[in-house]
Amino acid sequence: MATLLTRGAYALPGTSLNFKTGTWRSEKPQHKHWAAPCHSACPAGEDAQAWLAKVQEHKPREAWEALTRVNPMPAVTGRVCPHPCESACNRGQYDESITIHGVERWLGDQAIANRWTYPEAPKGAGGRIAVVGAGPAGLSAAYHLRRRGFEVTLFDAMPEAGGLLRSAIPLTRLPRDVLDAEIARIMGLGIDFQPRHALGRDLRLDDLRSSYRAVFLGIGAGKSREWSVDGAVPGDYADGLHLLKEWIAVGGIPMPKAVAIHGGGNTAVDLARVWKRAGVAEVHVITASALPGPGADPSDVLNVVPRELKEAIEEGIVFHEHRTIQRLLMRGSKVVGLEMVRLRKLPDGKGRMARVAFEGTETVLHVDMVVPAIGEVVEPTGIESLMHGANYFRADAFGRLKDAEGVLVGGDSRGDRGTVSAAIGDGRKAAEAIDAMLSGRDAVEERRDVVTFDKLNLHYFERSRRVALSELPVEKRTDVDEIEGGYSPAEASREADRCLSCGNCLACDNCWTLCPDSAVLKMKEIASDGSHYRFDYDYCKGCGVCAVECPCGFIEMVADD
Amino acid sequence: MNKIEPAAPEAPPQELSPRDRQPRWRGLEAGHRACQGCGEALAARLVLEAAGPDVVVTNATGCLEVFTTPWPQSAWRVPWLHSLFENSAAIASGVEAAMKAKGQRTKVIAMGGDGGTFDIGFQALSGMLERMHNVLYVCYDNEAYMNTGIQRSGSTPHAAMTTTSPPGKERMGKRHMKKDLLSIIAAHHVPYAASTSVSFPADLRRKVRRALDIEGPTFLLVHSPCPLGWGHDASRSIEIGRLAVECGLFPVVELERGELGGVMPIREPRPVTEYLKLQNRFRHLFADDHRAREEREHLQALADHNIDKYHLRGDGADPLDTAGIDTVRRGGPLR
Amino acid sequence: MLEALEGSQAVARAVAMCRPEVVAAYPITPQTHIVENISKLVADGKLICELVSVESEFSAASVVLGSSAAGARSYTASSSQGILLMTEVLFNIAGLRLPVVLTCANRAVSAPINIWNDHQDSMAVRDAGWIQIHCVDNQEAVDTSIQAFRIAEATELPVMVCMDGFVLTHTLETIEMPDQKLVDKYLPPLNFSRKLDPRAPLSLGTLVGPEHFTEARHSHHAALMKSTAEILAADADWAALTGRSCGGLLTVEGPEDARTAIIIMGSTVCTIREAMSVYPTKRKAKLIKLRTFRPFPAAEIRAACEGCKDVVVLERAISPGAGGILGVEVKAALMGMKRQPVVHEFAVGLGGRDIPLETWPRLMDAVARDGEPSFSILDVELEKLPVEER
Repeated sequence: MATLLTRGAYALPGTSLNFKTGTWRSEKPQHKHWAAPCHSACPAGEDAQAWLAKVQEHKPREAWEALTRVNPMPAVTGRVCPHPCESACNRGQYDESITIHGVERWLGDQAIANRWTYPEAPKGAGGRIAVVGAGPAGLSAAYHLRRRGFEVTLFDAMPEAGGLLRSAIPLTRLPRDVLDAEIARIMGLGIDFQPRHALGRDLRLDDLRSSYRAVFLGIGAGKSREWSVDGAVPGDYADGLHLLKEWIAVGGIPMPKAVAIHGGGNTAVDLARVWKRAGVAEVHVITASALPGPGADPSDVLNVVPRELKEAIEEGIVFHEHRTIQRLLMRGSKVVGLEMVRLRKLPDGKGRMARVAFEGTETVLHVDMVVPAIGEVVEPTGIESLMHGANYFRADAFGRLKDAEGVLVGGDSRGDRGTVSAAIGDGRKAAEAIDAMLSGRDAVEERRDVVTFDKLNLHYFERSRRVALSELPVEKRTDVDEIEGGYSPAEASREADRCLSCGNCLACDNCWTLCPDSAVLKMKEIASDGSHYRFDYDYCKGCGVCAVECPCGFIEMVADD
Repeated sequence: MNKIEPAAPEAPPQELSPRDRQPRWRGLEAGHRACQGCGEALAARLVLEAAGPDVVVTNATGCLEVFTTPWPQSAWRVPWLHSLFENSAAIASGVEAAMKAKGQRTKVIAMGGDGGTFDIGFQALSGMLERMHNVLYVCYDNEAYMNTGIQRSGSTPHAAMTTTSPPGKERMGKRHMKKDLLSIIAAHHVPYAASTSVSFPADLRRKVRRALDIEGPTFLLVHSPCPLGWGHDASRSIEIGRLAVECGLFPVVELERGELGGVMPIREPRPVTEYLKLQNRFRHLFADDHRAREEREHLQALADHNIDKYHLRGDGADPLDTAGIDTVRRGGPLR
Repeated sequence: MLEALEGSQAVARAVAMCRPEVVAAYPITPQTHIVENISKLVADGKLICELVSVESEFSAASVVLGSSAAGARSYTASSSQGILLMTEVLFNIAGLRLPVVLTCANRAVSAPINIWNDHQDSMAVRDAGWIQIHCVDNQEAVDTSIQAFRIAEATELPVMVCMDGFVLTHTLETIEMPDQKLVDKYLPPLNFSRKLDPRAPLSLGTLVGPEHFTEARHSHHAALMKSTAEILAADADWAALTGRSCGGLLTVEGPEDARTAIIIMGSTVCTIREAMSVYPTKRKAKLIKLRTFRPFPAAEIRAACEGCKDVVVLERAISPGAGGILGVEVKAALMGMKRQPVVHEFAVGLGGRDIPLETWPRLMDAVARDGEPSFSILDVELEKLPVEER
């Protein structure tokens, strides 16, 4: 039927909706959930952007729940993790990165203070799993397995759970009530904890493999590396980790006049600070790595929590970067000094990295004690069949061993981890692999493309400094008081608000406001999961304004046929 | 004489659709036929969003009129009247007189492009202002006659290329300056005349509300990028409008009874070339030619002059300056 | 009550009785007195309306366009250059089908500039789509002004009431002014169906493409053609109330069996009516007083001219290069009659030239002469022109 002309050719309101301008389009906008750089950089697999979004929405409990779906111990990691997330944070290229660890710690502390609990774990319908080692890797594996509905027996050689967190991290970095609270919460999921069970002494691998549907080994690296300088060993030799554990357990430590610690990890720095506070006049740290700073190659930098390093330098510890010990100066069996030489890791002719010492750069350091803190290897007792004579396990990304089905490994026993967060990540991945194996599917680890700084539209963000965390002044630092303070709720909220929501919806209304064609519909008030807006492709002409003006790079234009 | 309805829009669904549930007043609906990335279409929608439903809109002939009302369709959800190119202000005067006569408080908004405002409709506008009609006149300034295919207008900036100001051996685009309409409007001693840009929606909305709160004639000049006429990528419309303000070529100011009131401070003035180089209409200014350089400098001088004249240079960061006003947070604009 | 009133004043008062809600006008001779009188009525509180004193006729027309679209009864008036400056808007008002009433105080169009009366201005906009009604005296101007609102609002077509500048607008006559109550009874308040209303937000003035524009023009034409019924009804109803008819579309005066007819619009009707009694001619003649020029009552003209041998059309405007305007239309109307009269077109009184009573015998002489051209300006004095321009 012909359309009948109206008198004076008037039209009715909103009838343009009958004209679908979407047919003009050659490209269409779509939401793309990128991985924020903080997410992709987190060894535990935390999506900091996602839980910071919840803090921005003033939903700390939901933030904590999102966080603990991945990492059960945010109060711990918020304190001890070297937070590679902050180094990766896009905001660092704009002004200053988000203090992710500060907000994480605040959430963890809120959970402890308010007795937040995990969702109740399903009854053990998935079968029995053995987890050996109650350090971060084992605790994480037990936690994730339990949440997936498995019955978990957790063994540890020590009387208490915690592993290195308990035995090797000074109280100044990790108060034990915090550690205890988070472990207790994990155990509260219904984990059968069997302390004083050492592998090779009280437990046999074969028994575990036959009694449990799968075994996770988070046994750490408990055996000191052999250390000498050109065959020479000091008469009073003791390794760093051992000294640190002893100090934490009984409070005693040798008191040299001047000491050199050989190594570049947290153990070296923690021990150096213990000595400095105990009154040792000269404390040197000799490391083959570089100190962090402008121009430093991230792969060449000390694997230390950055603020710990800053505090150590404040406290007067002397760092010697890009050095190694070439010779011990001995008087009898007693060390009286050492000779250092500069070195760098450089590619050799075959494309591998090798350490090259530079002749003519030798210097002498007068110390009366030299302590190695160069890391440990796996104690092979009881698992010789899995080690094949190597120092560490060789496993795939999920911790699966090629020649022992149902046995998975994670944490420091893998040799290339080195952080609590990595151990927690290993535990989570192993739980997924075990779950997948027992339900006959492939294990999956979510992978998303990483959104880069250039994808953000920074016009929409004001520059702001990070909210500072309080810190004990050097003169007030003790062996027991935590040095770094936490955020107040207001501070945590202010800091979380600085998050640029890289690659994910900020619910800022820009696309909704700026679409010239009213083709962006708002679906509900505030939703950080990206369901907040919907494109109405009936009308979207594909101009791309929304993609350019999205502050977060959450919208991309793709060909539309 | 029987009343004949045009084809009815699709029967309303039982439940409100997401489009019907949008938490904002939709004065201008989707399905209009503006080009991709049209600044004017967006500006008009934003004006109505701020104005609300109790308005009558009059519209000069031009892009906005054409792309919103190809009979039997209309994108408008407010009463809307188009008559001619040059009489939007005059028919608005009539509508307002009718409202007054009937004792109605409905606000009248007259709309026009720069052609219908700076040039052919200027007399009617001046008359409307002089007679103190209670009308908000909104001029969507895209700086040329776009509806007829990009001819120069009184608003076209100096040196811009249009089809009637083409560059060539003897010319570098438009010879004359952009008409300082806002000053002329202000000289009518009206209570409120302001400029704003579609690229700063928060500023635009605030000014619409402010203007509508005032009894008497008010005027808003809304800078509205035109991808087709300016020769830029449709997706860059907002960015280009922002640059126009940030470089000083389009000052965002408020004039109260003819006196300079508020201005939007520029936090970090951008060189005009950053704005110019994104647009084909200024392409000839980037030729290897001393005249091109001279005209670039000329435009920079005009921008600097605006910055001095209106005191646009910010005095430190201000939450309402060019960099601060559109700051977002989770859950929407900061303010 | 009979009053001695100037035409402009009488029209102003008649318009005021129609209770217009918006009046917009720009002064131009000879319309000025109408606007001045309305302004005074407003100033004295005798007319409650929005009086918009615009900056041009263009805006005057635009303002009433807007106010009419907003549902207000709207009125304007102009002349000559003013009508031409309104032209674009006049077409627009009609195309939008808005019930605006406009008084055209007819005046010549420049150049040369001339402020006196002829019909060139309203003829110039005859195709704008308005109803055009001519008045022969000020009583008719008063009565037609009131009828005009009724016609406009019933048909949703604008009405132009034409009255000769100076000859009527500035002339004092005794006029029967109607009672306000009577006008209120005759003319109910306007309730415009397509008014701009936020509660029912229509879009007026849309773009219509080739697929419907023809129909838009057709419907406009059809509406004008059909409006004759309302013009007649408005006049008949007014006559019933007041005893005064303005003559519907046209009226015929004189002997029915006359073989000669003369067709005239406007005040010249009265001049020739008078002349016919002063200068009785040998041949019987009847006077056709054409009131409604648009819609053009072709059938009624044909009926009125039935049995005539000669039809004289007295033009008050010309179409240079063609000749008469009204005459051409009358010829067209008479085409195909069984005994088609000869149509003689004469323009007189251009730019206010006096039309003396002797015009009538001169006309009759001219008709009697054989070989007379079909169009001429009767009162042209060629000796006033250089030879080469005669």
